[in-house]
Amino acid sequence: MSAYHPDDMTLMNYAAGSCSIPESLAVAMHLCFCHDCRQHVKNLNHLGGALLETIKPASTDDDAFETLMASLESHDHSAPVKVKMEPTPSDRSIQHFTNPLLRYLPTSLANLPWQRQTKEISKFDLTSLINVKGFQIALQKISAGAKVPMHTHKGFEYTVILSGGFSDELGVYHEGDFIARDASHKHSPTALQNEDCICLTVLNAPLKFTGWYRVLNPFMAWS
Amino acid sequence: MNDSTATNDSPDWGALLARVAEHDDKAAFRAIYQHFAPRIKAYAINQGFSQHAEVLVQEVMTSVWRNAEKYSESLASVSTWVFTITRNQRIDILRKLNRTRAEVVIETEDLWQIPTEDTTICSIQNLSTEKFVTAALEKLPEEQMIALRKVYYEGKTHEEVAEELNIPLGTVKGRLRLSLQKLRVMFEAKEI
Ligand SMILES: [Zn+2]
Repeated sequence: MSAYHPDDMTLMNYAAGSCSIPESLAVAMHLCFCHDCRQHVKNLNHLGGALLETIKPASTDDDAFETLMASLESHDHSAPVKVKMEPTPSDRSIQHFTNPLLRYLPTSLANLPWQRQTKEISKFDLTSLINVKGFQIALQKISAGAKVPMHTHKGFEYTVILSGGFSDELGVYHEGDFIARDASHKHSPTALQNEDCICLTVLNAPLKFTGWYRVLNPFMAWS
Repeated sequence: MNDSTATNDSPDWGALLARVAEHDDKAAFRAIYQHFAPRIKAYAINQGFSQHAEVLVQEVMTSVWRNAEKYSESLASVSTWVFTITRNQRIDILRKLNRTRAEVVIETEDLWQIPTEDTTICSIQNLSTEKFVTAALEKLPEEQMIALRKVYYEGKTHEEVAEELNIPLGTVKGRLRLSLQKLRVMFEAKEI
């Protein structure tokens, strides 16, 4: 369905678990929308399984198994419920991929306590939820048809559209699209006319606004 | 299915895991442990985890014991399932080491989800997928395989790989890109 996806290197880094937490949030969010990328990540996970089979095994401590068993059995007695990890059995009907933010947002996207940035742009900050130094993470809401001031990036920026869409000098983007931008891009996105645009933005350095909008920097993170 | 003799000899991990799930079967769990623990440990060491390698092994195997019933052949082979648990636990340990205080932060399991059920794909298809992936890997040129292994499995940056192999950074990136392209073509040709 989506037309813009993370590139193969990003998906591989995600499957290998070697990308940062903020980047993985952006990828995970895209996976909620994109069957093709879910499928590809699944294949790349198989790659991990295959590599695990072909690795040269390291020697483990002789008594490690017995020690583990002893601790497992003592725990299992005190806590008869064996399954502890999420998701709980009631979640089992979920077949694909759950919105990774679902458990952390106080309410639905539409009812979030949005923080107003300008008349047409507001945000809901997630930086403390992700809590990785050097990253700003937020949900952004742009009123239908509104234009975001021209800006450039020092680092990179990932955007995943959760609803609505926007366009910029390079294309038109819709729900589920994953857009990666780096320092070489200078752009001014405009939300599509028919509805408000809500998206997740992951930014690894403050935005730099060109022109006089720079006074807004760095509080208005949006692409 | 005539290419590999090694996989034909390996035990039916899925059946062993089912015995762990249904009867807390210690012997079955021991067999799984003996196969996977040394591999998880090697992975941990490759990832620069030497100090916490044993911790990772114990965390992963605890998870395998407690969640055996969540494994389903329709989702992945056992080695892929164990890999995804290992990957997540490694990330989790790293995150905990870096955390300064108890905060509400997003769980690793929400970011790297291990699906618990998928009725859309039949199990036979999935197991053949894994064999297929192994075969696809064998078709990669050695130099691409080495670069891929270092990045995927040892968590090396492209710069580190370039330095280690004493080749230009552009060459590393080129090899990786080619290997991923080839894998994608093979995956898609198979239509899995
Ligand atoms: Zn996609």
